[in-house]
Amino acid sequence: MGPGASALRAELRGLIAEHVPPDYLGAFTHDPADLEIAQRFCRTLAERDLLCLAWPAEFGGRGASVWEQTVVREEMWAHHEPRGAQYMGVNWVGPTIMRHGTPEQQRTHLPAIARGEVIWCQGFSEPDSGSDLASLRTAARPVAGTEGGGWRVYGQKIWTSYALMAQWCFLLARTSTEEKKQQGLTVFLVPMSAPGIEVRPIPTMLGPHHLNEVFFDGVHVTEADVLGEVGQGWQLVQEVLSFERVGIARYARCERLLLAAPRVLGDKWESLPAELHARWARMLTHCRRARLLAYRVISLQAAGTVTPGDAAAYRIAVTRLDQESAEVLMDILGLAALVADDTSGADGAWFRGEVEDHWRYSQASTVASGSIEMQRILLARALLKPPALDGIAQKVGS
Amino acid sequence: MIIELSEEALAFGAAVREALAGAGGDRLVRDAEHDPAKREIDIAPVLGKLGTWELAPRADADDLEAAAAACRAAGYWGIPYPVAQRLARPAELDADGLLVVAGPRPAAAVAGLGLRWATVTLDERRGIVTAVHPDGPPRTASFVGGLDIVSAGPGGAEDLTLGLVLPCWTLLGMLDRALELACEYVQLREQFGQRLAAFQGVQFQLTDAEVERAGLEMLARYALWSIQSGQQAAVADALALRLAAIEAADVVFRVAHQLHGAIGFCDETQLSWLSRYSQPLRRLPLGLSATRAALVARAGRRGLDGLFNE
Repeated sequence: MGPGASALRAELRGLIAEHVPPDYLGAFTHDPADLEIAQRFCRTLAERDLLCLAWPAEFGGRGASVWEQTVVREEMWAHHEPRGAQYMGVNWVGPTIMRHGTPEQQRTHLPAIARGEVIWCQGFSEPDSGSDLASLRTAARPVAGTEGGGWRVYGQKIWTSYALMAQWCFLLARTSTEEKKQQGLTVFLVPMSAPGIEVRPIPTMLGPHHLNEVFFDGVHVTEADVLGEVGQGWQLVQEVLSFERVGIARYARCERLLLAAPRVLGDKWESLPAELHARWARMLTHCRRARLLAYRVISLQAAGTVTPGDAAAYRIAVTRLDQESAEVLMDILGLAALVADDTSGADGAWFRGEVEDHWRYSQASTVASGSIEMQRILLARALLKPPALDGIAQKVGS
Repeated sequence: MIIELSEEALAFGAAVREALAGAGGDRLVRDAEHDPAKREIDIAPVLGKLGTWELAPRADADDLEAAAAACRAAGYWGIPYPVAQRLARPAELDADGLLVVAGPRPAAAVAGLGLRWATVTLDERRGIVTAVHPDGPPRTASFVGGLDIVSAGPGGAEDLTLGLVLPCWTLLGMLDRALELACEYVQLREQFGQRLAAFQGVQFQLTDAEVERAGLEMLARYALWSIQSGQQAAVADALALRLAAIEAADVVFRVAHQLHGAIGFCDETQLSWLSRYSQPLRRLPLGLSATRAALVARAGRRGLDGLFNE
């Protein structure tokens, strides 16, 4: 990864130790103080030019290498993403606006993201459009010039993370129904304060803020809110997905928790069943495997030769690792996973909280950001010559 | 750590694969089973001509990568010849190759060859083989023989690492081929009016196999880096690789057999030969559970080296 990456890792760990409480479980809790910690941490990173490290210098970044970006992803995810929801703005909303935004949109949005002041949410999924995103129906209907022009948006989004916290929405809506379903889609940059938007949180086992419904009832948008061209939405979404090819570094949190287990358990570690020690060692092997598969995708991406199949193989490995390691960690804790244990001290309480949170959140890892079935379809397509596939695999990702 | 092998190593692996194809390819394993002496007539000289036996994987990082690539190429054709074991030979002992041995009845797939062997155990004790006793016909024993060993003392850490890692590269080559054969077969075979490849139940089995194979490839590369850079945990890294290799072999061969159906058991398909001749690599010196136990013993409370060791 290079010496720059090691120095960066040390710098980030120092900042996390200084600014994030050791028992922090992320911004998405019922306690508003946890969100405030994340917001402050983003500003701290921004002051040191660490928030938008990967951005080009002209937009306030450092033009960091892909390996430095990897270090950021690993350290943030391992420590419960102390940037909160802002990673989305940094990772893909900003870069997409850099490429396709008007000068006015760039002036409005990029400095705010770079300063760590704004949270975005992603208006993609709908009740009837999950993996088959292009079938979405939220409609932007044209408004006559005499009535102000632009469009009025009607419809519903669902599974929208951080919608209650967000100031802006990266909204994908249908502006035309006449062509193929992938055509006629447009991206709008919509303020969440716009009249006609209603957010309803969905209580879930993942914890608060992860899933919401967002209703659009005649929300007025104009040409100035369109990102790129009208009808170009599907291409933009494909670009967004390519920015997110590696996605969150789930393996980093798995490894951090697995490696902490012997220390936290102390003498109790030796009395665990031998088979559990073996499962633990196996999971560490799988952590390494997933990390190396991620590095392979990053390296191929940097060389411009990555295929959807390469990324899919990594995503399958890492999401399954997330769930399997959570099961092993819960077993290691045993009863203590669910019930406080007087003898385990502050370290034990921290670890119990981390592992229990990791287990709940890991349940979604094979569903979120492209289900494992979609990844398998993409990987199968890479393994088999296209003419052999009569079924769904040809329609995906095209 | 650089993720891919060097250009030179990849080129050497390709040359080995091509030379073995020219020498008979898939036929080599069949001929060897029929006439075991053919291994030293048909296989060893082809590799020797390319300079394989002059590689010095212990002394030279580039040679280590070339050796790994050669093992993988040999595995691709299911060569029943101890390529990895010969390449792991210790420099200062009077031997042609190195075998990692374990348990009260040490054994290795080297029966019927006129080669001298050094050994190393999991606790790094070295030895010299004084006799190899064939256990049965190659059809079922895959050239595995029991070994008589005299001790040559301690100090075999380096032997152990290399002796564990290179055979995993051979197994990786076998998995490359087994998966390739499965992908080819499901695109030819039709049932219910469509190719097997069009069934999602078939596709998803292939993806399970590919994730294992691709993950193994990365761990195999990591283990080479661990040797090249003199990591203290190189033995643990080698055991982690072996664990992943055995698990991957279980999945890949299961999937390849299932998708081939009955034809996959027949001598006319290469899969059946690869499947049988993968057995020594998967069972010796340690099978899945014993490899896990050895990894746990090595890794201790520290675990594998990673981003967050304490």
